Amino acid sequence: MRTATRAIRYLLGGGPTAIAALLALLAVATSAVLSLVGIGIPLLSWALSGVRSLAGAEQRRATRLLGPANSGRQPFDPVGSGREPSDPVGFERRWAPDRDRTGRPRLGMVLRDPGTCRDLLWLALHGTTGLPAAACCLALGLFAVAGLVTPLVWWIPPAEAPMTFVVPITDWPRALTLAPLVAIVSLAALRWAVPVAGVAVARAYHALLTPSVRSRLSARVAELTATRAGALDAHAAELRRIERDLHDGAQARLVAIAIQLAVAQRQRDAAPQIADQLVEKARAGVEDALAELHEVVRSVYPPILADRGLPGAIHALAAACPVPLTARIAPLDRLPAAVETAAYFVIAEALTNIAKHSAASRAGLWLTHENDRLVVRITDNGVGGADESRGTGLAGIRRRAAALDGYADVSSPPSGPTELRVELPCAS
Amino acid sequence: MRVVIVEDNVLLQEGLSLLLSTSGFEVTAAVGTADDFLAAIDQRQPDIAVVDVRLPPTFRDEGLRAALTARRQFPGLPVLVLSQYVERTYAAELVASGQGAVGYLLKDRVSRVDEFLDALRRVAAGGTAMDPQVVAQLVTAGRNPLDRLSPREREVLALMAEGQANTTIARRLVVTERAVSKHIGNIFSKLDLPPTDSGHRRVTAVLTYLNAGTG
Repeated sequence: MRTATRAIRYLLGGGPTAIAALLALLAVATSAVLSLVGIGIPLLSWALSGVRSLAGAEQRRATRLLGPANSGRQPFDPVGSGREPSDPVGFERRWAPDRDRTGRPRLGMVLRDPGTCRDLLWLALHGTTGLPAAACCLALGLFAVAGLVTPLVWWIPPAEAPMTFVVPITDWPRALTLAPLVAIVSLAALRWAVPVAGVAVARAYHALLTPSVRSRLSARVAELTATRAGALDAHAAELRRIERDLHDGAQARLVAIAIQLAVAQRQRDAAPQIADQLVEKARAGVEDALAELHEVVRSVYPPILADRGLPGAIHALAAACPVPLTARIAPLDRLPAAVETAAYFVIAEALTNIAKHSAASRAGLWLTHENDRLVVRITDNGVGGADESRGTGLAGIRRRAAALDGYADVSSPPSGPTELRVELPCAS
Repeated sequence: MRVVIVEDNVLLQEGLSLLLSTSGFEVTAAVGTADDFLAAIDQRQPDIAVVDVRLPPTFRDEGLRAALTARRQFPGLPVLVLSQYVERTYAAELVASGQGAVGYLLKDRVSRVDEFLDALRRVAAGGTAMDPQVVAQLVTAGRNPLDRLSPREREVLALMAEGQANTTIARRLVVTERAVSKHIGNIFSKLDLPPTDSGHRRVTAVLTYLNAGTG
């Protein structure tokens, strides 16, 4: 009986959401048409985001009816992509790295998301069937009530305008057989047929909206392939930079020094003064070469990180930050060097940004290790309005995070505060 | 002057020994680990120890830690720490480890022999020697109190923080010693520091003050 009540409530509740779905369909169609002339592009992304939340709500409704054991899927994520339970479609997580300044997902990302196609299919299906289904449900209920009431009241209306229940009810036999029969059939339908239909609809929606294991796996593979390619590119660029720095810098200077020393040696007896000058030049050259080597070493793996680990290195960064900074660092095990280095450079870059652009009077840094992810959160009370397109800082932070299959999220409304959140997976 | 050298890299150890022994110092011990360092101070009672930051077994900051331990065990022991790179955190820890007689220099500075030997003598005499790079990091960190200083006063402060005496500062900046004293007086009053005439105490005061500014 409870299953029946829940199914009826589910189908009836589908009525209003179907109306919403129809409106959303209209909005998507309108903005899609307007996109052809340009102005609809932000509208379309906005409308599709709306569809996504509508679909998410509908999926939660379906899951409530089916129950976690009945949903036909395990509650855990078979792909292990770390998506949160409150986010069954994996939307927030996957779109998080690509939002514009108002926090709205960028259209390109929305359109590339395979979920968008499923959302639209569901929208069309629900928009067209949701309302009739709810109406049927309502009608069955009304028939049942009317069928039960009719035998009691059929004699009240005047004979020339009799109550009609399939056929006009004009005598007791009809009133006592036909009307109750309709009521019984309606009640039976509500008791047995509606739950089946409700569960079928919920299953269909659920199947439609939840990415299949296969599609999730392939999405994950695509994601990993992209981040791996990104990581390889970043790595290659880094190697080229180091090679160039050494080749054009320290190496060239050392050659020059060797030449100066060789000449000095030959001039030692003939022109001791020139020899002296050359030796002095060579010594200065060695200092410059060393300074360049320090820079290269620092950019590859900061020495303080090697000495003191991430917490010590962050304290050193915090001490050098001109904006007063409160750093809260959870106890950390030693993490993979790549993760520590990325976290260090991300924090260094963020603090530089704060010092240069934020005009903040206070900043905060939180570093925690949650579920095998290193989470860095940096906030400031500055002017906000950080714009990724203007500098390389934020893009660099994103690149570093993406190379490790992590992500960076920046929220920086025009009057602040700015918050940067970076997550780096650190499972070995 | 009796010197103990603590450096695990044999090439550098030999180089330093050569440089110091040809410059009138007596190298009483040249060791490569923190334990040998502490033992050597105990046995040889040197006038100064020259310590590398990175030592075995982990090649992190054992040398710095050993230097701090040594200064706890033998208060007033002059220590000059050499490092392949400078880190202000280390400078702050060294300065906080006692009243003066500390130095923290980039290894590259050794090649400027006269300046290096001068720093060594200054530290042995209870003074301070800070690498210009450390000082530059402090001075350019853009703290508000320093905004009040004039460019000239900043230059004086930087040299002061390195541990230089007024005569040296006057010579470097090509001004009279009286002008230097006047600048220093202004710096102390602008930074709310009580003026003293002691070389290392003013550096301690400056560094402590600058580090305290980070909150």
